[in-house]
Amino acid sequence: MKALGRFWWIIVLAFIAFYPPTLGGMSAYKSGILIFVGIYIILAVSLDLLIGFAGQISVGHAAFFAIGAYVSGILTARYGASPVVALIAGMALSGAVAWVVGRPVLALKEYYLAMATLALNEIVVTLIIGLQWLTGGASGLRDVPAFSVPGFTFDNHVHYYYFVWAIVVLVVASTLAVTRSPFGRTLIAIHSDETAAKTFGIDCAGYKLRVYVLSAFYASLAGSLFAHYMGFLAPDDFGVLTSINILVMLYLGGIGTIYGPALGAVFLKVLPEVTYQFQDYELLMNGIILIIVLVFMPKGLFGILTNVRDRFFARGAR
Amino acid sequence: MNELSALVQFFFSGLTSGSVYALIAVSLVIVYKVSLLICFAQGEFFVIGALTMVTLTTKGLPMPLAFVLSVLISTIVGALVERVLIRPIQNSSVGSLIVMTIAISLALKGLALLIWGKESHILQPFSAGKPIHVLGATLQPQVLWIIGITIVALLVIWFFFEKTTLGIAMRACAENRLGASLMGISTQKAAIFSWAWGSGIGALAGMAVAPLLFMQYSSGLMPMVKGFIAMSIGGLASIAGAVIAGYLLGLVEAYTIGLISSQFADTIVFTLLIIVLVFKPSGLFGATRSREV
Repeated sequence: MKALGRFWWIIVLAFIAFYPPTLGGMSAYKSGILIFVGIYIILAVSLDLLIGFAGQISVGHAAFFAIGAYVSGILTARYGASPVVALIAGMALSGAVAWVVGRPVLALKEYYLAMATLALNEIVVTLIIGLQWLTGGASGLRDVPAFSVPGFTFDNHVHYYYFVWAIVVLVVASTLAVTRSPFGRTLIAIHSDETAAKTFGIDCAGYKLRVYVLSAFYASLAGSLFAHYMGFLAPDDFGVLTSINILVMLYLGGIGTIYGPALGAVFLKVLPEVTYQFQDYELLMNGIILIIVLVFMPKGLFGILTNVRDRFFARGAR
Repeated sequence: MNELSALVQFFFSGLTSGSVYALIAVSLVIVYKVSLLICFAQGEFFVIGALTMVTLTTKGLPMPLAFVLSVLISTIVGALVERVLIRPIQNSSVGSLIVMTIAISLALKGLALLIWGKESHILQPFSAGKPIHVLGATLQPQVLWIIGITIVALLVIWFFFEKTTLGIAMRACAENRLGASLMGISTQKAAIFSWAWGSGIGALAGMAVAPLLFMQYSSGLMPMVKGFIAMSIGGLASIAGAVIAGYLLGLVEAYTIGLISSQFADTIVFTLLIIVLVFKPSGLFGATRSREV
């Protein structure tokens, strides 16, 4: 039993690996949902680095999701670039934008920071709508090709499923590594008391900037994956509401735990598929679920799971 | 239409949206001053007020009665939200509070979707009458209503916070919570009242502008964001600053749309917001002291 507490992640990995050939029955619909889940896990986990660890709230994470998606979409659909090159270009642009706006914006706190990041998201969306000749504007960007590496095209949804989830696993693992590194612990120090961290000689602004750029890289990566899966991009998918959705995943799952936000992403993306006949209730349900989580279980779903685990698997399991 | 009349036309549309932004900014300021909380659900009261009035008038209620009832209903919703949802977590981190108001916004939006559906609704104008022509520009009578309502609302707010005991007590809470509570003022009650005021004024803004806009369950986001822009330009905790900044924002926006680019007007406005936040966090009229610690 103790082993289950320690090696549960093997079960998760096995599930990811064997889902399509067995339970999923290779259906495009089911693997499609899981591809979205994977993309949102990347978004949620990367935002958790920024909010849960560095303590910097952002209501504009979808800005970098948008930049990644549109750079990938535009370069491959309009200029015939290789998807790998486009993906890297998207990450470079996202990182550059984060780096330029990060220092002044992250000097802000709380509400100011929330609003500035929200404004950044709106700026990106209005630019996408406005620069019609480049992005297709409000009517969208068509014909984004499937992802391909030299010699292989991921045009089959099961192949793409494996590709996306391989990246998800890498992203989650690398984020965990970051949070356990000296860098991650410094972020936690800044989170708990910035003044104290400064007194210890930590360059807070520099650290906040670096984690912001890192989270932008990940969000951009998610955007590129999204663009090649959808084949069609519209500005609606990248608005403030998307950023808010990611934020909901974070708090629902439990901030600052990496696994929690991933769990939140799974929950919020799979739930609507299960309850699709109640589509009109989705907004209200999301709101109520989030309210319940905030009032009664501030540690989120992951907090509940760890509680349950601690209760079942003796005290020594940790 | 010659150039002068175009400029006048932009001025009118600037005044219209400026009134809305000013009212929403004021509603945000009142909540912020008393409970030190910025409510991301303020746009929902804007929508609820407008759509309630649409429903009541189509049910055949006379305009003035529908007007009063809609404000009242929104006010009650706002007060209930504070009492039931905000109070249990009032001592949490700012991050949780922000997310809580986002959750409230989602829930209210979801409720509005269930009640009013996905369709857009439009309210009939408050009074019949032909558009007025001024210097070749047209002025809808409703715009006069909007400006009138804004002025009356601001006067009432001024009277309440300057002349009534309750208002002065609430201001005391805004200045110094501990001091106020030591003087026997209930900060809890003040917080409820601030939410009631905030939601009522937000609803008023939505109702006043509803005859000119198509309103649906999700129309609240932009007015809320613009209201916040006005609030931050005005210095976060100043009602007068919020009003001036609201009109300023409306006019800048209208002239940007008219003279520079309609597509990039929002881009420009949001860039201005970031610039103001970064370079002058205490607002353009930042005589008021910053509340940040």
